[in-house]
Amino acid sequence: MLLEINNLNAGYGFLQILRDVSLKIKKAEYVCLIGPNGAGKSTTLKTIAGIIKPMSGQIVFEGKDISGWPGNRVTRLGISFISEEMNLFTNMTVHENMMMGAYTIKDKNTKNRLLEFAYGLFPRLQERSNQLAGTLSGGERKMLGIGRALMADPKLLLVDEPSFGLAPQLTDQVFSSLDTLRQEGKTILVVEQNVTKTLSVTDRGYVLENGRIELKGPSAELADNAHVRKVFLGV
Amino acid sequence: MLNSYFARAFAWLKTAGGITVATAAVLLVAGTIDRGPYILVNTVVTGGMLGLVAMGLAVILGVLNIAQFAHGEYFMIGGLSAYYVIRPLHAYLDAHPSAFLAMVAPFIAMITATLVGGLAGAVTERVCFNPLRKRSRANWVMNSFLLTVGISVVLVNGDQLLFGTDFKGITHYWPGVVSIAGVFMSVDRVMTFILSLVIVTGFWIFMKYSRTGQAIRAVAQDEMGALMVGINLEWIMVLTMSIGCAMAAVAGASLLFMYPSYPTVGLEPLYMAWFVVILVGLGNVMGALIGGFMVSLLKVLTLEYIGAGWEFVVPSVIIILVLIFKPSGVFGSEVRSVLDQ
Amino acid sequence: METGVSKHEMGFFSSVLDRLCLTPLGALLLVLLALLPLIPPFNQQYLLRWLTIVALSAASAIAFDLTAGFINIVNFGYAAILGLGAYTSAILAVRTGLSPWIGIFVGALASGLLGFLTGLLTLRLRGIFAAVMAWFIGLALMGLAIKMVWLTRGPLGLRVPRMFDTSSNEPYYYMMIVMLLVVYVICRWVTRSKMGLAFKAIGQNMEAARTSGVNPTYYRIVNFTLSCTIAGWLGGFYAHYMGILTPDLMHTSKTVEVLAVVYIGGRGSLWGGAFLAFPFLIAMELVRSGFSNLPGLHLVIYGVILILVMIYLPGGIASLYYRFLYKPWGKFWEFMVGYKEND
Repeated sequence: MLLEINNLNAGYGFLQILRDVSLKIKKAEYVCLIGPNGAGKSTTLKTIAGIIKPMSGQIVFEGKDISGWPGNRVTRLGISFISEEMNLFTNMTVHENMMMGAYTIKDKNTKNRLLEFAYGLFPRLQERSNQLAGTLSGGERKMLGIGRALMADPKLLLVDEPSFGLAPQLTDQVFSSLDTLRQEGKTILVVEQNVTKTLSVTDRGYVLENGRIELKGPSAELADNAHVRKVFLGV
Repeated sequence: MLNSYFARAFAWLKTAGGITVATAAVLLVAGTIDRGPYILVNTVVTGGMLGLVAMGLAVILGVLNIAQFAHGEYFMIGGLSAYYVIRPLHAYLDAHPSAFLAMVAPFIAMITATLVGGLAGAVTERVCFNPLRKRSRANWVMNSFLLTVGISVVLVNGDQLLFGTDFKGITHYWPGVVSIAGVFMSVDRVMTFILSLVIVTGFWIFMKYSRTGQAIRAVAQDEMGALMVGINLEWIMVLTMSIGCAMAAVAGASLLFMYPSYPTVGLEPLYMAWFVVILVGLGNVMGALIGGFMVSLLKVLTLEYIGAGWEFVVPSVIIILVLIFKPSGVFGSEVRSVLDQ
Repeated sequence: METGVSKHEMGFFSSVLDRLCLTPLGALLLVLLALLPLIPPFNQQYLLRWLTIVALSAASAIAFDLTAGFINIVNFGYAAILGLGAYTSAILAVRTGLSPWIGIFVGALASGLLGFLTGLLTLRLRGIFAAVMAWFIGLALMGLAIKMVWLTRGPLGLRVPRMFDTSSNEPYYYMMIVMLLVVYVICRWVTRSKMGLAFKAIGQNMEAARTSGVNPTYYRIVNFTLSCTIAGWLGGFYAHYMGILTPDLMHTSKTVEVLAVVYIGGRGSLWGGAFLAFPFLIAMELVRSGFSNLPGLHLVIYGVILILVMIYLPGGIASLYYRFLYKPWGKFWEFMVGYKEND
């Protein structure tokens, strides 16, 4: 088991959002977390990434209990979080952003290998490598966000709303790049609004409602589930 | 090729920054011709160190979003530490003259002051800002600002309590004068100017090329992004505070021959540094150096042409005008939006 | 907020108190203040003089809190604006022989006008920028007071005719207590009206306030003008009480003193700072005179308390009152305070 979450409770200040969330991800799995707005999908990712401290519960990554660790230690361990708004360094060039992504990696050769891989995945970024990140288009920013996260050589990628703010065409591109990553053996946990699309590409899924896991199972089964169809697909 | 450079230089001269810098340069030349070279010398000597103090302030503002009101107190700490190192060294030198020791003694004092200032900054961050940050980030800019007001009160009066209110100054670090282009000036002044340039260059290289310097820039641009790529925020914050305060301390130390140390010596550097930072735009670290020279020039000219005492009034009026007409500063900067809340 | 009071049937006594925005407890404390000059240690002239100054600080704290606690802008030039009122009234009395009784109101007007201008100038600026701007206005004012020797006599000090023709402190003390009450009532009236809500709204989130129809420009100017007018009025009293004025009154450290009292007392409560000023400043004075061989000790303590409050008790002493006295002792305080406050 790569990641195992047991009875996680988390939230902001006094406002509890997650209630007893448990989930498991095996190595090289492509898992999605779906649910209506405000269900706590992003909060789950942020808690795993160490940006929010859990109130109680366990987050076990490769056998280590990492609950309550600060974000930088989590990243060092091999979990990269890609937030909805990307959090790019807007006054740095694309190249500088990519190199900041490899902040935890000291070995020069590894860095070059990772950079080559990321630029291979997104040739567009290489073309723009001397441009300031703040001047990129929405799709390019998304690519840079994923590319920067890849520079840390993560074992697990947490992707928050990859389609957020993107035109359908660009969304397809982003999803296909996630597909490529998955074929490269990366483990991915993705949170999405676009339920049809997500369930058609992932292996397994969890449905989060009001901070609780209501359903889980293989994506194909979830897509056929009456409740999911009624709530998310409107049929 | 050359033409396009000229065209760009002309375009820059038409911006607010260009106009300000050009006006300052013209005033500097006119003042120097009218009253003599000491206008230039005084501007340059205090300008470099004022630039350092202001850069420290700008770094703390840009990275930690703290509007430092206690910055002058680290200037005071620097001067004080240097005083207590240089006095015994000078006394020892009087008894046992040594050309080598006379040369390096001031450096020992200044390095000690830098370390003490940096340590004081780090302790302040751990003891005051870190607990506040953990407790609540709401209304951070105003709350941290008020916290620095408290720190300022404690440091000023702590100094008075422990070291008294007398002026602790020295007449010189290095004895003697040098003559440059027919103008005589003390070695201290020349060294102060060189020192400020060396430190600024070192700082620039550190921020631009070192891994840690880049991490500091990253935190300034996006804190959450920095956390996501694995930067240890707490460490960067301690380090930044430490660097910012050390810059004020080294300025206080190297200007000890002009500003003897006493509890409230920090008020003027604080006020001047804030003036610089607002003039060039909050968080514009490199602009602060140029701003340091411009403000220093303004002070020298005010003293020369209007008279002592007015150096508090004239800059205040100018800064009020800057805030009204160009609140983002003459060079502009992006940090403003963070501090707007 | 003291809404919902009108639902209760109120007797004459409590309705008067309500008009004055006082609780029975507050009224009790006020009576205590009035009786203080008769109670032994305080019947000595030098203590009474000290008490008068403390009451003045308490009143300044209330007006300072009106800006700091409500629209969330620290008026760093507050002491200078208070000084402007003092100098205006003093110079009028010295030069034209104007009665101090009229002079202090002219001084208030002058300060109010400057407050109006400050509010106008800081319109485009927010938070910390407005604080810095007010600070520089204060520095400029103090610089002027130092340099315009022909008018203010600068650091030499300006001798000012006093208000009452007596060397005793009682008339000043009682006048100050009345002024304290007036300042409190004015600020309370304003803040518990619709305007107070608007102040809080623009203090918390200017953009949100703007989109919900509150005009930040208008309320900010009103707030600054009112706060500065009161400061100028208090400054006028200071001038005619002390009998001598120096530009030191306008120093940034004086603003810091008021600021510390307000924030330790509890921002946004109005009464917090005013209440705290008495025990706190008296205790500080005791430390100062008790440890005269350790100059600055009392201010170190002062600063440490400010730091601790800023970190661990953002609501100040006022929040302690609500947490430890008000809630657990609900019934008792409901009687003492008359009604339950919501927060």
